[in-house]
Amino acid sequence: MKAKPFFLWRHLNKLRWLTLATVFSMLVLLPFLHVYQAYVAAHAYDLLAPREQELYDTLEMLTAPFVSDPAEDLDAIKGNTWSGTFFGLQLSDPLAAAGQMAAGMNLYTPFLLTALIPVLLTVLFGRFYCGWICPASFLYELNSNLAILLRRMGLQAGRRHLDKRFKYAVLIAGLVLSMITGSVVVAAIYPPAVVGREIYYAVALGGFGAGTVFFAVTLLFDLLVAQRGFCRYLCPGGALYSLLGRYRLVRIQRIVENCNDCAKCNAVCEFGLDPLRDGFGQECNNCTACIAVCPTDALTFEIKPQDVGYQGAGHLGKRYQREHAYGASGEGMP
Amino acid sequence: MIQRRTVLQRLMYAAGMAVTSTLPYGFARLMVPEARAGFSTHLRPPGVLPDEHAFNSACIGCGLCGEVCPPRCIRFYQHEGGEKVNTPYIDPEQKACILCNKCMEVCPTEALTETPRNDIDMGIAQIDRTACYPWVDRVICGACVSICPLGERAIGFKLWNQYQPVVKTDCVGCGLCVEVCPHPSLPIRIVRRSEGTVTRHRL
Repeated sequence: MKAKPFFLWRHLNKLRWLTLATVFSMLVLLPFLHVYQAYVAAHAYDLLAPREQELYDTLEMLTAPFVSDPAEDLDAIKGNTWSGTFFGLQLSDPLAAAGQMAAGMNLYTPFLLTALIPVLLTVLFGRFYCGWICPASFLYELNSNLAILLRRMGLQAGRRHLDKRFKYAVLIAGLVLSMITGSVVVAAIYPPAVVGREIYYAVALGGFGAGTVFFAVTLLFDLLVAQRGFCRYLCPGGALYSLLGRYRLVRIQRIVENCNDCAKCNAVCEFGLDPLRDGFGQECNNCTACIAVCPTDALTFEIKPQDVGYQGAGHLGKRYQREHAYGASGEGMP
Repeated sequence: MIQRRTVLQRLMYAAGMAVTSTLPYGFARLMVPEARAGFSTHLRPPGVLPDEHAFNSACIGCGLCGEVCPPRCIRFYQHEGGEKVNTPYIDPEQKACILCNKCMEVCPTEALTETPRNDIDMGIAQIDRTACYPWVDRVICGACVSICPLGERAIGFKLWNQYQPVVKTDCVGCGLCVEVCPHPSLPIRIVRRSEGTVTRHRL
């Protein structure tokens, strides 16, 4: 048996859930902050109740070290994952940059630069955005938990398999349509953008917008047609990240000496990949659910630009041991 | 050697993929019917690209301008928006722009570009003299003149009568006068600069 992988990798899945939940709750809280700011502006600070002044002071104290202009203290973190400012650092979704470039048919470098850090991280970590940050992913994973609940109650959720390449067609169609119509149409069907926007509309502007129906339909699609179907088959952002992360450096790999072919990794993989037979590919979002579930510590992170091919049956599994107990040609097998 | 049948099959498959991949966009578009025709009081935020088409292609619909707006006057086109869906607008009848420049500073794309206050062009105010109180009844009002952030350069009283307001060419169309106007039919409103009475008479 080979050496066990670094013990923390097993717990990354919990950290991932924490990150997802944090991003999502930030998306819910930031519009409230915005509403509160407007409230303070409307009632001058001196007229606020002492408790409210305390709240304002606390918030200001937390953000003050990071901004130069005291009047903009609470503007330090604004926006959503589609595009936002984080203590003066502007970050945008690479798909926003691509869509805007296609719609305007020109390069606007200041905006493209805001997508640079996400692009570099994607080249390093692949589709990590989908598993670690995307606020829609958070809801989709809760939705697939609902599917498990339904299955326990005897209702079968859809587990169809469609063509993975379909999302690339959606991405290309979106960019071409952006070019033709001259507006960023990918924003209308890209779930994280839709979710961020709809939460803001609901909290600050008093009502859900047009995207809520669309998102509800994608939830139903995931529930009734295919598990995580939108992310796997339709999401244009997922397609872009998959392409960017094709030769990612950090990837999950199976240690064949530790594997016992139990196939728990295949069962737990939300994206329907095949860790059991080393089938990760560009779709893997490094969510580490398979590492967390593996009973024999057979999955770990490796720094490699490409996947290894199928390494054969796991050495702790029955098939490998039967084959090797009776020799490679299998003479004397019962 | 590849048979003609397989080539045809692959072509059919690719064509099918190309057609069906546009369905999500069509579906999203179904939920935002065409923009309503007719007169609308909606303005674009300050510093907007002059060409409506260029603005639609530059705006990614992130909503940052609305989130930093202190008076919360920036809203976003929804079901009625058509191709303008998720892009910002200001309805001065509800809440008007205070020309604070925050939206232009925060906009990640060039959709809202930072513009000096005097060069902002959201439109120009126009007064309906058959409805405005001082113009019709010689009563005392002056609400629009007293709220104007640009002061004497943008709107003032007609010389020989203290309270009849007159728009001047320096008006940038922020719409505060529309918000404050006490007349229920809003005799003051923001129109496109080329359509404003003042500018038309000057040109």
